[in-house]
Order: sequence, then structure tokens, then C-alpha cells
Amino acid sequence: MIGSLTVNDGGLFTTIQDGGRSGYRKYGIPVSGAMDTHSWKLANWLAGNPLDTPILEMTLKGGVYEFNSQAVIAIAGAEMKPEINGEKAPMYKTIQVQHGDKLQLGYCRKGCRSYLAIQGKWEIDKMMGSYSTYTPGVFGGLKGRVFKKGDRLQWQSAKFKGDREIDRKLIPHFASSNTLRVIKGPEFDWMNPQEQKQFLGMTYMVSAESNRMGIRLKGEEKLEVSSRQMSSSATLPGVVQLPQSGHPVILGKDGQTVGGYPRIAKVVEADMWRVGQLPPSSYVGFKLIDIEEAKALKEYQQALYRENLK
Amino acid sequence: MLKLLHLNNAKWECSFLGEQALLLTSAVGDDTAIEVIHSSTYMLNHANIFGMVDIIPAYQSIALVYDRLLESLDQEISRIESQISDKSITMPDPAKHRLPVCYEMGLDWKAVEDHTGLPKDAIIKYHLNGNYIIAMMGFIPGFIYLSGLDKKIHCPRRENPRIEIPAGAVGIGGSQAGMYSLKSPGGWQIIGQTPHSFFNPREIPPVKVKAGDRCVFERITEAEFRKIREGVNHDR
Repeated sequence: MIGSLTVNDGGLFTTIQDGGRSGYRKYGIPVSGAMDTHSWKLANWLAGNPLDTPILEMTLKGGVYEFNSQAVIAIAGAEMKPEINGEKAPMYKTIQVQHGDKLQLGYCRKGCRSYLAIQGKWEIDKMMGSYSTYTPGVFGGLKGRVFKKGDRLQWQSAKFKGDREIDRKLIPHFASSNTLRVIKGPEFDWMNPQEQKQFLGMTYMVSAESNRMGIRLKGEEKLEVSSRQMSSSATLPGVVQLPQSGHPVILGKDGQTVGGYPRIAKVVEADMWRVGQLPPSSYVGFKLIDIEEAKALKEYQQALYRENLK
Repeated sequence: MLKLLHLNNAKWECSFLGEQALLLTSAVGDDTAIEVIHSSTYMLNHANIFGMVDIIPAYQSIALVYDRLLESLDQEISRIESQISDKSITMPDPAKHRLPVCYEMGLDWKAVEDHTGLPKDAIIKYHLNGNYIIAMMGFIPGFIYLSGLDKKIHCPRRENPRIEIPAGAVGIGGSQAGMYSLKSPGGWQIIGQTPHSFFNPREIPPVKVKAGDRCVFERITEAEFRKIREGVNHDR
């Protein structure tokens, strides 16, 4: 059965994202993909999709979407007061919508990105192995750009009639102050012990200039930057760079593939989804752990998904 | 934590770039020939390394990205070394590209003249005389780093990066020459523009040139620039 929706209001920055693209970084093409992979997986599971299905990622403000058919949907991530035809709609639960239903999501109250999964196979083109939108390069997703009023999304729906709910222990709590666990980056030792202590001890504010490429942080004081010259080298989402300004940047999913700033730390894989939920003006601190602990955290997280998202 | 890896008759310092990526940094540092990076990248790309999904070559380093959590450095190093050994690999011959540039469309002539102490015509001459090698690509899709820029026209990047640099901009960033395939912010000194586009996400591979290819620049007028650009757009 063919389903579709029409965009009445695309919100602030709504794009299609999935698990991202690999194999093209030697051309300078970033990974892209959902910033909060945790909510992405939960929403897809609720909608009866394979967990790596593309999804709508809505940033700070959701928008209004009118369904031209029945659909099975689910919402996870930041709380944007979802309503269907003016009535409160649940999050973290399978929702059946009817032809003509209007889904409205407002400004986000906690977190930063909300995810809308729609059951079925979307009729959009894969670009270099992924459906993810990379807006700076104008490719992927829906015409390589954010959703606009009048856009239409169409899909082939299967016959999923499930009614799922997420176990409470998997539902994230979004705070205005967050601690991210990090491991040392290749240039961590470019900071002397005093500078390392300062970097790890400080609280940073998330700047409004943050986006999918990078989360810009502002510390109470500037961090000292080594005057050593670094030749451009690989970067990854989660890498914490320390540019000349003395204010660190956490690279996001659309982050550059190489960079010339010291990579002082890297957010651990298990905490990467939380990077996608840092709203402007919220606070961030870092906690250094070793790589073995980081791997154990990731394994624990993978086991949780295996058990709960069957 | 650092361990040595032997690859392509060279020694590499191997470290973790996160739980799912390795960073191989050339042990000889600045003196690494870019050709060694290219041939090593080629070898790694053609070896069957368990779980490796991406590779990011740079000037003195190569990063390997995996879709799995990594084991110890020793285990990962021996995995790589065992996959690479006994394999003789012939790299494809580098292609040679002629790239038209309209120098009248430069944006930072004054800064480059001031810094080098040379008039525009002399700078253009040095730029045209260079034999360039595509050193690497990144930081954004299709940005092309060229090595081989004449020392006389080295010029530091802008103190205040531009908010928008046009696609096709040809620039100087320190000792490197470079080209932007996408409209983007950037700090390079722009001395001209090429009507060619190297990046097309609808094609595989999405970038028409490859690391190791040779490039020479050819001077064109603004009228020629417009004519070629119209042709390029028409083809799409």
C-alpha cells in the first residue's frame, strides 16, 4: 500500500537521516546520519521498521505534517509536545494515524532533536549507500535539503499492526547539564597536566552556532593551545578539537573528514547519541575514562538493544 | 599508547582514534613522501581487513575506520600485517589533468601580493609553472589539496575566514594549493576560479580526480570561464 504525507510546516531544521554513509571519507564526504542514534533506533522499532531505516530528524522545532493515508508512526527523542489534530500524542509508543490526520510538533522543551519514524519503505533515492541528508553538499534525503512547506514524502507500507511501547529503562532523560565521557585524543598530551586538568574540570556552554557539523562550546576561560603546528589529519564524529580560539568543538555527524586542530579527546561511542541532544545554552562537562571502559559501555549498550528491540 | 606497524617498507606509529578507528602516523613525520601515503592507502584499501569500512589518508597519517569495536593494538596490527604481507600491488598510473583557471576572479589578490611582495602577474606565472600532485581530499566533499606550490608564492591563510567561498575557487593556504568543489566557508587566499566541478554525488566515484594524480593550471579569460561553466551546467 502506498502512503504519503505533506509538509505543512517543516519546522526549523528537519532532514532525513539513517545510519550514515561509509567508504567515501577519502573524498572528503562525511558520515552524516542521525545525530541521536538511540532515539532513531527506538522510533524505528516502535514503528515496526528495521532499526536502520531512514527517519525524520527534527531540530529544536518539529513542524506540521499532514497524512494523506493511514500510517504507523512513532516519535522518540527530544520532547516537542507532539499533537495529532490538536490532541496530545504519545512518545515512545506505536501510533496509528488516519487519512487526514495532522501531526504537529512544537518547540523542544528538553533535548534538541526529535525523531519521527514512519513504517514502510520510503520512496527516496539512496546516495552513496545512504539516505542521509548532507545539507552543505546539497545531497541525500529529500533533494539534499531541509523540509519545506509543500514537500511530500511517499512510502510503500507493509502490514505491521503491532502496538509497541519502550521499556522505561530505555527512555532517555534530557537535562540542561550533561557530562559526556571521553577518551584521550591523539593530541591529548599536547596539553600539559595543568591544562589537561583545566580541560576536564571546566563546565562549557553549548553555543547557538552549533549544528550537525559541530557542537561549539564556550568555557568559563579559554584553554591554552599548543603552538605546535599540526598537519591536517583524520577526524571523526565525537572528536573534540581545540582550535586557536581556545574553545573546544565536538564534531558532529556532518563534521569535516580531516582537520588541522589538535584532537584533544573523543566522546565515547556509547555517549555519541547524547551529543545529538545538546541544546544551545545547555551545559557540558567531560569525564575521562579509558578505552577498555569505553568499549565495555558500548557492548552493554549493544546488548540492551539486542534484548529490548527484538 | 603507541605501537609500531610495518607497512609498505615504512614504519608507522599506530594508536587508537576512538574505539572503532586506528590512526597510523608515519614514523618519519614531515619527511614522509606523499607517494608513500598514497601507495599505503591503496594497499590497505585492497587488503581484506576485518571490519574496516573507511579509510582517511592525510599528509602524514592514514586513519582506518571500523564497524566494530577494536581489540588490542597488538591484535589489530598483526591482523593488518598478515593481510598485507606477500601482496605485491601495482598502483594505477596517475592521471594528468589540465585545469583552466580565471585569475581575474581571484578575491584575495591584495593580500597575496602584500605577503609575497610580488606583483599579480609574477604570482600567476609561478602558479602556472607548478607541477602539482593531488595530495589529499577533505575536509569537505571534493576539496582538493595540491602539493607542489612554488615557495615564492606561499601565503598564510586569512585571519578571518570568509563566510562563503564560491565553488571552483582556487586558492593558496600556506604551502599548499587547493580547490573548493563546494560553496563553503573557508580561510584560503583565493587567487582565481575554475569553471570545472570535481564533485558529483550522483556519480561513483563522486570525485573525478584521485589522490596521486598530476595537475597543471591553464589561464583562461572570464569569457572563456562563462562559456565552460555554461557547458558544464548544460551537461547536468
